[in-house]
Order: sequence, then C-alpha cells, then structure tokens
Amino acid sequence: MTELRLEGLVHVYPDSGVRALDGIDLRIDTGERVALIGQNGSGKSTLARHLNGLLRPTEGLVLVDGQDARERTVASLAGDVAVCFQDPDRQVFSGTVAAEVDFGPRNLGWSADVRRTAVATALDAVGLAGDQRTNPYDLGDSRRKLLTIASVLAMGTPVVVLDEPTTGQDARGVARIGAIVRQLAAEGRTVVAISHDMTFVAEHFARVVVMRAGRIILDGSPADVFAEAAWPILASTFLEPPLAAVVGARLDLGSTPTPDAVVAALRARTA
Amino acid sequence: MGHDTLTTVGDPAEPAGDRLARPLPAWLGRPGPTSWHRLNPLTKLTIAVVTSIQAVLLGGIVGPSMVLLLAVVLPAVRTGVGRQVIRTSLLLALPLAISASLVNLFFLPDAPTTLFELGPFRATEEGARFALEIVIRVVAIAGALTLFYITTRTSDLVVDLERRGMSPRLTFVVGSAVTMVPQMVDRASAIAAAQRARGLDTEGSPWRRMRGVLPLVGPTIMGALNEVEERTLALEARGFTRPGRRTLLWSPSDPAYERLVRWSLVLTIPVVVIVRAGGWGLP
Repeated sequence: MTELRLEGLVHVYPDSGVRALDGIDLRIDTGERVALIGQNGSGKSTLARHLNGLLRPTEGLVLVDGQDARERTVASLAGDVAVCFQDPDRQVFSGTVAAEVDFGPRNLGWSADVRRTAVATALDAVGLAGDQRTNPYDLGDSRRKLLTIASVLAMGTPVVVLDEPTTGQDARGVARIGAIVRQLAAEGRTVVAISHDMTFVAEHFARVVVMRAGRIILDGSPADVFAEAAWPILASTFLEPPLAAVVGARLDLGSTPTPDAVVAALRARTA
Repeated sequence: MGHDTLTTVGDPAEPAGDRLARPLPAWLGRPGPTSWHRLNPLTKLTIAVVTSIQAVLLGGIVGPSMVLLLAVVLPAVRTGVGRQVIRTSLLLALPLAISASLVNLFFLPDAPTTLFELGPFRATEEGARFALEIVIRVVAIAGALTLFYITTRTSDLVVDLERRGMSPRLTFVVGSAVTMVPQMVDRASAIAAAQRARGLDTEGSPWRRMRGVLPLVGPTIMGALNEVEERTLALEARGFTRPGRRTLLWSPSDPAYERLVRWSLVLTIPVVVIVRAGGWGLP
C-alpha cells in the first residue's frame, strides 16, 4: 500500500523567494485520516502539492510508497495520489458531469467498462448520480465543488488529498463529505484534507497536523490538538478550537473535541 | 460559510481593531522604493513615449544610443531594476531585431560594399550599419516601455489619469488591459496544475501535449468571461456608472517641476523634427 513520507522538506518559491515550507518531517501511513490545519499562508497547500509532484522540493525528500517523487512524472503520480483543488472554476471543463468525472480515469488508461462503474460510484458518493448529463456550469457553486471531489474519487487512488473540501457547503454537503472521508478510510485509502473547518476536522479525522510559517507545530489526535493546553499554540496560528472542545473545558470534562465526546463525558460523570 | 467563520480567526496580517484605526488601506499611497518609482505615473509614461519617438526620429547610431543610455539604462540601473529591464526588453525586442538584422544585412538595395558572402547571399557594410540602427531603436523602445511597466503600479496610473479628468470607463479599460495578462497567466497555471493532478500528461510526447490543451482552454476562457461579468456587477454595485466626478482618497503627487519636465520632453520632438528636416543630424 502507499505510505507518504516527507523528510526535511523545504520549499522556496523561486519567483517570490517565499520560504513556504521550512523543514517538514511527516510520515502518513496507509489508511490514515489526516487533517492539515493552520492560518492562511502557513504552507498547507504547498505541502499538498508536493504529494503528487506538482511542486518539487527545494531541499529534502518526498517519498511516495518508498520511492522518490522526483523520479516520477505528475501524470504517473496521479495514479497514486489524487489532489482535489479548492476552486472548481479552475478545473471543470467538460460539457457534462459524467465526462468531467471520466477525465481522470481516462488519463489513467482504464477500459470503458471500468470507467463507467467508477464514474457512477463516484457520482453516487457525492449525490450527483442523477446529473450525469447535466452541464457542470448549471450545477451551482456547492454542487460543482462536489463534482470536483467526485472526479478525484473516481480515480480510485490509494491516497486522496482534498484542499478545503467543505468551503461553501451547507450542513448536508459537509455531512456528505464527512461520509466520503469515512468511506475512503473504510476502504483502507488514505485521506489528507486541508481545512479551516475545525468542527469538520474534529469529527472526521483521526489525526490533526497543525502548521505555522512552513513548519509543523502540533501533530496528534483531535483530543490532543484541541485540548485546552494546546489552545495558545492554536492561537499562534490563528485557529480556534471547535465549540465542543471549549464547552468540555469549561465544564471540566477534559478534552472533548466533538459534541459526541461532550455527551459521553457528561454521561460518564453523572453515572 | 457560517461554519467557517465560527471557528477561524481572520487574516493575521489585519487584526480587526487595526482595520478601524487605519483610515486607508495600506497599499494606497504607499511610496515607491526609489525616487524614480515615486515620479508621477504620467511623467514616467511621457519619458517612455518620448524616448521611443526620439529613438526613431534621431536616426543614425549615436543619437538613439545616447537616448537608450540616458533614458533607459541609467535610470534602470540606478533604480535597481537593471537586470529585470534588460531581460524583459531583450525578450520583447529579439524576434524583431533578429529578423530585421538578417533582412537588411543581406538584402539592403544599393549597397555596394561587400562584407562577406554566404552562398548566394551577400552581406553588405551598408546593410550591417542599417541593421544596427534598427536594433538600437527596437531595443530602446522595448527598454523604455519595460522600464515604465516595471516601475509603475497600474493602480497609480489609473488613479492619476482619473484625477486628470479621464473617464472612469476609459481608465478601467487601461487598468484591466495592463493587469489582465498576469491574471490570465496565474489562472492558466492553476488550471494546468488541477488537470495534471488528474493525470493529464504535459510532460510526454508532443501528441500527448497537444491533446492536453483542450482541458486547459475551456476553464481559462469560461473563467475569464465569468470574471468580466462578476467584475461588471461588482463595479455596478459600487456606483461605477454614476455620473459626475469621483472624489479620490489619494492620488500620486505631481509637483510643478515634473510638469515642466514633461512639457520639455514633449517639446524636444518638434525641435528634433525641425533639425532633421534641416538636414542636420548625428552620425
């Protein structure tokens, strides 16, 4: 299976000279659900773009399945690590929803039958099963975003990277994306998501990596990262813990990053 | 979106309290790094245009070379953008300069002095001289425009033109034309990244690359059209088409001596025209 390893990763953008990543050491095992959080400009997206070779390290190493990512083309890495970008308007190009989702699998050279199944399954997962023939530009922003997620899911990669998947989604959309994350994990696939939505992160991810100024400053379970002791560190990168964590701390329940954790802790206390 | 704002604090560069305390956005009226940058945009534009015209009018080799040296190389080096200006203006000028040189070197009519022969082609001394004249002019024009472009913020130029009574519609066209190229490049590279992430092979054979163009073109054009529509709506919402003069919060300074410089520069044009018409000129 596919393990991701970053060793001493440094990235300096040649045009601006900005040191976006400043020595990242990170290992993500197969099947992990990892959320990357941190203030705007902390290096999350730059990190994500190294996982599929879109950006090459200035220093250090990116190992995908033990192999140096520099030795492979982006097109071949796309079969292992699929990255879904933030802005649908900067990628959607096909005339129909089905053709858009089919783009990735076709690039991977799959047969028509296999592709048809993959497209149908991916569209089903994001709730667009009935829209195969719709023009993507008739979908509306939030559903077009779900379409981009489907077009990455359809590629069946062992690693799926989602950049800000919940932006612009209502509660139903967020729940749908949460279900997708769980489903991917159940299939043993790795999910890495960049998000500013702390509630979403706490509910759906087993591991949270916090970045600031191109470095990792916290790495642990939601219970660790959102524990009261870590709040000052979160604040230093302009993050706030989810509401459930604050409630739990105020009620002396320990670290309770999700509403379920609050309820469980309250039950345990009253029992 | 509500979900987002609940749990995330805003941009670290701009704490909420500070935004109220500061009357104007930080970029507005921020002085340029050097005194050349700080010149009024119209002065820099005048210098660029007059330089270009003079490079053609003066004729010969010495005149345009001096113009190139004084109005492009010297300010560029003093401003610290020398390398940038040289790189960009050579890129701009090279195709034209090379083709013009070859044509004139070999095919200038009525050129008796042979330099060397290359197969059926005869390179002439007169041709070489004429080619050199053209190359210097082209480089001077490209350099002058590049220097202007690199040392002038588009927003400054637009604000200044508007202050001088130019219609906002016209200044908007100027402004969007200048800023459109970098925006398109930015958008195209973002789109290319997204398609490559889905396995589009842009590193393979020419045929594969050709096939890869379509998925890049679609969103680039759609996005550009969309952007125009959104920008129009946003402008409309802020009273863009409202008649009457706008109050400007800030505009680039325009001291009296700069006006003098501009008029003097413009006046050099008729002077040179008269001198040249009289049959005088530098070699």
